[in-house]
Amino acid sequence: MCGISGVASFHPIGDRLYEGVRHLEYRGYDSCGVAFVNDHHIEVRKDIGTVDEVDSKEHIRALNALVGIAHTRWATHGKVTRENAHPHQACHGEFAVVHNGIIANYKALRAELQKTGHRFRSDTDTEIIAHLLEQRFKDTGDIERAWVSALRALEGSYALAMISIHDTERIFCARHESPLIIGVGSESNYVGSDFNAFIDYTKSTVILEDGEYGIVSKDSYCVKRLRTGELVDKEITVVPWDSELSRKGGYPHYMLKEIHEQPQAVRSALSIGDDEIAAVADMVAAARRVHLLGVGTTYYVALLGQYLMASIADMDVPAVSSDEFRHLDKSDRESLVLAVSQSGETYDTVMSLRHAKERGATTAAIVNVMGSSIARMVDRVILQGSGPEVCVVSTKAALVQMVLLARLAIELGARRGVLSAAARREHEAALAALPGQIETILNEKSGLIRAAAYRHAHVANWLFLGRGVYYPIALEAALKMKEVTYVHAEGMPGGFLKHGTLSLVDDKLYTLVFVPPPASADLHAATMSSVEEVKARGGFVFGFSFDDTDDIFNEHLVLTAGHEVTAPFLPLVCAQLLAYFTATALKRNVDKPRSLAKSVTVA
Amino acid sequence: MKALMLTGGAGRNLVPFSSTRPKAMTVVAGGSLMRRTLSHLREVGVTDVTVVIGQNGEKVTGTFKDGQEIGLSLSYVEQQRPGGIADAILRARTRFIPGEYFILVYGDVVTSANPFHQALQSFNSFKAPIAAVCLPGPPTARYGNVYLDGTRITRIVEKPTTAGLGNYVLAGVFVLPVEVFPLVEKSGGDMEQVFAQLVRAPGLHASIWEEGWIDVEYPWDILAANRMVMDTWEEARISRYATIDGNVTFTGPVRVEPGSVIKAGAVLAGPCYIGRNCYVGNNVLVRSYSSLGAASSIGYGVELKNCVLFGNSKIGRLSFVGDSVIGDNVDIGSGTMTINENMDHTPVAVSVRGEPVNSGLVKLGGFIGDDVKVGAGNTLAAGTVLPPGTSVPHHATVSGR
Repeated sequence: MCGISGVASFHPIGDRLYEGVRHLEYRGYDSCGVAFVNDHHIEVRKDIGTVDEVDSKEHIRALNALVGIAHTRWATHGKVTRENAHPHQACHGEFAVVHNGIIANYKALRAELQKTGHRFRSDTDTEIIAHLLEQRFKDTGDIERAWVSALRALEGSYALAMISIHDTERIFCARHESPLIIGVGSESNYVGSDFNAFIDYTKSTVILEDGEYGIVSKDSYCVKRLRTGELVDKEITVVPWDSELSRKGGYPHYMLKEIHEQPQAVRSALSIGDDEIAAVADMVAAARRVHLLGVGTTYYVALLGQYLMASIADMDVPAVSSDEFRHLDKSDRESLVLAVSQSGETYDTVMSLRHAKERGATTAAIVNVMGSSIARMVDRVILQGSGPEVCVVSTKAALVQMVLLARLAIELGARRGVLSAAARREHEAALAALPGQIETILNEKSGLIRAAAYRHAHVANWLFLGRGVYYPIALEAALKMKEVTYVHAEGMPGGFLKHGTLSLVDDKLYTLVFVPPPASADLHAATMSSVEEVKARGGFVFGFSFDDTDDIFNEHLVLTAGHEVTAPFLPLVCAQLLAYFTATALKRNVDKPRSLAKSVTVA
Repeated sequence: MKALMLTGGAGRNLVPFSSTRPKAMTVVAGGSLMRRTLSHLREVGVTDVTVVIGQNGEKVTGTFKDGQEIGLSLSYVEQQRPGGIADAILRARTRFIPGEYFILVYGDVVTSANPFHQALQSFNSFKAPIAAVCLPGPPTARYGNVYLDGTRITRIVEKPTTAGLGNYVLAGVFVLPVEVFPLVEKSGGDMEQVFAQLVRAPGLHASIWEEGWIDVEYPWDILAANRMVMDTWEEARISRYATIDGNVTFTGPVRVEPGSVIKAGAVLAGPCYIGRNCYVGNNVLVRSYSSLGAASSIGYGVELKNCVLFGNSKIGRLSFVGDSVIGDNVDIGSGTMTINENMDHTPVAVSVRGEPVNSGLVKLGGFIGDDVKVGAGNTLAAGTVLPPGTSVPHHATVSGR
């Protein structure tokens, strides 16, 4: 998926072009670029990276132009390089084109154009459109006829926007099976992949249909049929909502959207190449000492990683919170620091990695945002590809990081001979089944969890208990509860109870217990004994468990047991939902909790 | 965009109110469900609404007429017999333009905020058929289970057989293409079947509704809906055209409409609602979640608590009405008591179509139909239902099941 934006205006468009593609970044964000008319020639500024990064290098916002188009790319085919970034131009720079979609017959067209002397600079299918336009303009001498003739030659799907030196006032656009709309403003008109491209400036839109093309200038627009060339009388649709809401696509909050995106996000994480996991496994195997780094949610991810490494790969890989790492860092040339970060910009993690690098350590990271500081500074990065996470409270990114650490542990376990080939296959099959299990929870348990959340929304203090690998799950779940509901929740290993915390327990303190499947007999028994301790003091116990015969709880949510490796992820999803519904019951600002920011880039 | 509203359902579980009015004309927080829905539609820019009416449809047409008063253009299609929804919808078909989308809304659904904003947002994101879905309070078997993949609905299980599931359910708000009418025809008006077909092709997207939602099925649902709507009120609104004596106490979000008279010594604890031209006598205690429809008259020293009066009713002096719903034009004699709990604090059962149904509520009073007369000095047992037009003599003890 890619995003297209374009503006034709009486006033300079730099800001609006920039904001347009920035709001489309959720459609993809590995490279971006703009093309605009500058004194009767076309100038293109593009590079790899996010819109903000490209802007800091190419100064998109400062543009003085009045007509321009922009693009943000999410490479599906063709590498992420500056050459492959849009806009694309033909041999003589007379046309600039941005494109979303796939041109099916591009090889044939390319061969044909090469025969007539066109030389290609990129591997993309888009570039042929620019050359095709140049060729057809040479044949016809008329820009609109060239446009129509070129479009008729294309097969496949496209949303296109084009500017040309032969008509410096207008943007040409067209769609076939990829979305494109026109925004009708005052003293400006817009094109965009969707409303987000211009919704801050106008709510009046004209929606192009397949087989239609549009011509947009600063004070007018028209839409014509590609087949007949006749004008189409289009109705203006007024978008009745503000820009923030329109991007949630069917969900009331980003948090719920991202919780529901988890099955897909896990599937993408499982489709990351084995070689990428293996490359990091090589580094872990080669190092004498390995530390897992994260802070906040990602520290709990790292801590879970430590448990997975111990149980699956029989390795001691301590997790350290990156805000404290500097005080403990004794790394050297034989050390590896493996960091986890959603944004890739987390200040404490960046500083810790820098510190470790200075001491000569090798570094690696699991990061969601491509092109981020951490992604660039480490020796090896796994891009988790979970898509943009907007809600300040991390859900899908964290879960995917855990899944990737599980994959790493499985790889290492197999190498070290801890996992037999059969066991490895079994573990991998368990991971493959995880997205379906999460879907079942989202579908069949949401109502039960919401009802429980509304019943218990008045509770002021929660204790979240877990043992073994369920301990980091309890910590992470408690953090979700705290940050989004402003309700105190404390994650704790079950064993801590009798060493102090038990004195807190009364009928007002509620306890959420993460009970392992009965198959993990020792862990199950130990956890249930913690439940007994709380119950004996009159505490209310809410159990997330895999066994409906655990009838000791005051409130009980029974999950279908999965494999031992994936089982801990299931109650985590339930805990995310519990935090979300508690927050809506308490009317909290779910996506932007007070005092918090999405990526913490300060000390 | 145009809208189609369905109000023709028989609603037989909503005793004793459904025999004299469509469910959409039941009242919560001072207004009918239908008025609320219509103003929500108007807020999102809908101008034309076609309303399918059934039994007692004249209550709808008589109230809203051509819609001018509420700022909409209303037209009506009559559903000839219960279950004849397909015919009615198909006759409405000519009012919609092929190729367009329209809003379909069920008349018996109450939401705490405007559901159409979000449904239209979702529609504009997907440009595809949209069904609002929500998680009903406690999971029940009343609704079909919706399965989602992201926001795409993958299937709808009409009569879920597995107990203990907490699925999303259809919330009764849809954005559909006009091309859905042939499907309605084919299915004989079974809307569940129509949606199942839409799920198969061209696909149905869910718009997840996380605000309050109540489907008014049983009479006690009126009280829950009333509470849900009043909980969204944040400030008091006292009309300058109300006459308020000295020594009247207001606390919280109290609403008093024009023409009402509130006598000295009255205490009104919000949220509560006093409709147009009501009379609230001396020393009346109106506790929270009480809604008095227009032209209600409350005698000296009455206590009202968590109750809905549709309007035009009289409550005689020194009575107590709590956790109860009183229909239109009811006359309750002085010193009448609604009992609102069982001695053993078990949930109150209500007789619905001859069968006791557990309301799940420990506090519940009575349900008194339109045009009922209750003589003075009566005691109504918890869960009493009085059918429309009943006359109860003085000093009778009524269990009314």
